[in-house]
Amino acid sequence: MKLSTEEFRKALLKAAADLEHHKDELTDLDREIGDGDHGINMSRGFHAVQKELEAQEEYEDLGVLSKQVGMTLIKTVGGASGPLYGTAFVKFAGAFKGKREVEGAELAAAFKEATDGIKMRGKSEFGQKTMVDIWTPFYEALEQESDLNAALDQALADTKERVATKGRASYFGDATVGVQDPGALSSSLLLRSIVEVLS
Amino acid sequence: MINLILVSHSEKLATGLKELLAEMAPDTPVLLAAGLADGSIGTDASLIEETMNELNDDGLILTDIGSATMNAELALELYSGDRNVHFVEAPLVEGAFLAAVLSGQSKTLDDIVTGVKAEFS
Repeated sequence: MKLSTEEFRKALLKAAADLEHHKDELTDLDREIGDGDHGINMSRGFHAVQKELEAQEEYEDLGVLSKQVGMTLIKTVGGASGPLYGTAFVKFAGAFKGKREVEGAELAAAFKEATDGIKMRGKSEFGQKTMVDIWTPFYEALEQESDLNAALDQALADTKERVATKGRASYFGDATVGVQDPGALSSSLLLRSIVEVLS
Repeated sequence: MINLILVSHSEKLATGLKELLAEMAPDTPVLLAAGLADGSIGTDASLIEETMNELNDDGLILTDIGSATMNAELALELYSGDRNVHFVEAPLVEGAFLAAVLSGQSKTLDDIVTGVKAEFS
């Protein structure tokens, strides 16, 4: 699996469109087990990313692109998702520094670093019904070179049935079982758009 | 005197807390990084970082819930100024009360952090 700078830019544009498309669904889920702003926040943040990417077609490398996206998300998303997604991209920037394209174990390692960044920022672990429950099986599938979309499907199904023990949703306790975590869903949309451009 | 930075999702909450603190420790400088630029509920790492640039001495950050803490920690990583700034995990109202009183007694940042931690963790 290989990710190039041009393809990563395309994937992020696709992610922005997908997140916009699912804006209401994300917000409705967040209304059930959170503060009801996830769709709006993600839409605002990725709209800002989209505008920047449309204004600049060429990026020096994956690191420069990731850094710009991370800082934009930190400044524009708000909520808990801003620092979490922002940190993921800042970690990508470190892992991708100076590289036009990345593949194989190196690509998997970059996604692991981003996941570790999310865990560090949110002081969270796998299994707490958060975005970490999507990012973790995703980088593991990259490491094992298994089917990435199948891994995301399984991760979403598993996450839906868990009890939230971290973040705002944890205040809702058992009522979170059977309701999808909004951050898990938005993460799957972002990661799927990346899968599409891997070659 | 050590400055306090109150990071809250709600500007009203932070403003109200600042009023409370002024009764106990009128001389302690209290800065606010609360709510979003458009007045809505939320916290913003870049606003916290900008507030850190207004410190007139070393500073202590206190937060309310969840993303306030994440954004405070992120702002600390982004901050490039030369003030010594710490974040301490404590209930916002009680923690800010203790920190404001200790700052009013001209305690050092380390003493205040230690004092707040001893009380709440």
